[in-house]
Amino acid sequence: MTTGTPRPPVRLPWFDVRLPRMRGDITWIYLWGAPLRVSHWLAALSLVVLFFTGLFISFPVWTSAGEASSHFLMARFRFTHFLAATVIVFAGIIRVYWLFAGNQFERWPALWPFTRRNVHHMFLMLKSYATLDPKIQPHFVGHNPLAQVAYTLIYLGTTVMMVTGFTMYGQANPGGFFYTLFTWVPGMLGGLQGVRVLHHTVAWLYPIFFSIHIYLAIRADYIERAGVVSSMLTGGRFVMSHEEFEDCDLGDHPSVPWHTGEHPTWVKPQ
Amino acid sequence: MDGSTLGEHLEERGVTRRSFVEFCTEMAVILGLGSAAAPSVANALATQKRPTVIWLEMQECTGCVESVLRTEAPTIGDLVLDVVSLDYSDTLMAAAGHAAEKAKAESMAKNKGSYILIVTGSVPTKEDGIYCTLAGKTIRSHLEEAAEGAAAIIALGACAHWGSVQAARPNPTGAVGVRDIIKNKPIINIAGCPPIGDVVTATVVHFLTFGRLPSMDREGRPLFAYGNRIHDQCSRRAHFDAGQYVENFDDDNARRGWCLYQVGCKGPATYSPCPIVQWNQRTSWPIGAGHPCIGCTEPYFWDTMSPFYQRLPEVGGFGVEKRVDTIGASLAIGAAAGVAAHAGMTVLHQIRARKSSKQLPEHDAAAQEDSNNG
Ligand code: SF4
Repeated sequence: MTTGTPRPPVRLPWFDVRLPRMRGDITWIYLWGAPLRVSHWLAALSLVVLFFTGLFISFPVWTSAGEASSHFLMARFRFTHFLAATVIVFAGIIRVYWLFAGNQFERWPALWPFTRRNVHHMFLMLKSYATLDPKIQPHFVGHNPLAQVAYTLIYLGTTVMMVTGFTMYGQANPGGFFYTLFTWVPGMLGGLQGVRVLHHTVAWLYPIFFSIHIYLAIRADYIERAGVVSSMLTGGRFVMSHEEFEDCDLGDHPSVPWHTGEHPTWVKPQ
Repeated sequence: MDGSTLGEHLEERGVTRRSFVEFCTEMAVILGLGSAAAPSVANALATQKRPTVIWLEMQECTGCVESVLRTEAPTIGDLVLDVVSLDYSDTLMAAAGHAAEKAKAESMAKNKGSYILIVTGSVPTKEDGIYCTLAGKTIRSHLEEAAEGAAAIIALGACAHWGSVQAARPNPTGAVGVRDIIKNKPIINIAGCPPIGDVVTATVVHFLTFGRLPSMDREGRPLFAYGNRIHDQCSRRAHFDAGQYVENFDDDNARRGWCLYQVGCKGPATYSPCPIVQWNQRTSWPIGAGHPCIGCTEPYFWDTMSPFYQRLPEVGGFGVEKRVDTIGASLAIGAAAGVAAHAGMTVLHQIRARKSSKQLPEHDAAAQEDSNNG
């Protein structure tokens, strides 16, 4: 190496952070109320537990040798399943409360997004997923309507799971609370086996939903860089002040300082 | 003999008070009244007039009659001759042809409004019911005629309950149970294919003691017998809770008497007194003998409980019949694979897009220029 030769600047590609110079243009908006987030994570946790304990209950693959009196394997799995079931019921109660007390993205009318415009947007979402082209993707502050349909489906499925699950649970105590509450269910589904089949069928909705849901959430974060994944923890996400959204107009409103985090009842529906 | 009370009748036949009370104790226990109720049952029965029973056999295999003949106490002689006055039964009566029909008509006329009608077998409804006829008439008209003057109807067995095997898909004869034809009479379903004979006797005793049918569940089955699931009374239940299962019929676990859940036991979906009352003079019962319960006391079990050696039914329409769990697992794996593929393609696409600054989103591009200039 000869002295006097100017050294090229060190530019390691991994450290070449390109920050957009947009201070002040980025706003953090508070979207998801605490009850919604609490019910989301309670449901996520209990559904995972429910799915795997449910798998064991339907295929008890581990058999325990020796005296029956020294084991309680299936009983413990069932106990865990029932415990997780009470957690999801609790989460469901919170969610139902928030269907009436939440903001426009959380309230019950949001569960049915089938307006003409939204159907068109669903189509655009599908198209952008199929062509991998994020530019044709419409922008939403809340969920895109396609995601909302998936969530509504999960709410429905979970209701079916609760009803069929507690119907079977009640059978051990004929005349008891759950037995009496759900006497109409076996009749409707052609007997207890019908209830069981439905419970098994809907259960498979969850692994399918989980993989797609988690993937699409991370993907949206990767492409839009708006903090969508953490919004379910912190309650809010980032928006560019010049960004246009399909589901509400943020234009006229002053930026909300990012740590005040007012609940966004101020978001005007379009 | 006619018109005498049951007590007098038994005395005439030389039945001792002791064996009568023994019988009453047994019945009181099966009915869930407890042995303390035996004297009351005995009193009520002894002062009763012997009830007339008309037993109508329709579309059936006579297995239910066989099962009732196997009632432990009373034996066939006791049941037919001592407790009830069985005026008509194709299988058991000596008379045949016109004489039998005449006996039935006479008995029905004489005991109008007070006789018990026991029905075994289903009613075919297709082609005007020609699939089962008796004495030149369809069995449906026999049933309607006999039900007219009955005080109560005991629908005995799965056939009379809902149609059983002949009502399984595709049900070629349009077989239905008694409750689908007769709507204006109290009907009790003694479910099972066949049911346990003691349950029939106990139901008759209940009717004689209290003057009404016992309380029933949503299926019209007597609660004293069908009030609990097999699974909750099963002698193998400890193995279920412990997680000890028979996996094949000839494995060691089968020899050890472990739970039959994995080989298709429908005990968790079946209400029946089998584990307690058992069969053939308390000899054994299906699960006790190592065979999984097939759920024969539940309606439509031929369709809903089969395949009998699998936990769940199969779903048609996928070429090969598959269980929902197989289909569900394939879909879940498919979804995960789809997600992985899509994720890979998205990353490649984004990397390519971000490499060429022209393809960057507007603000990114502006920022890029900014930083380059600065
Ligand atoms: S054998 Fe059948 S009824 Fe008995 S415990 Fe096992 S699953 Fe339940």
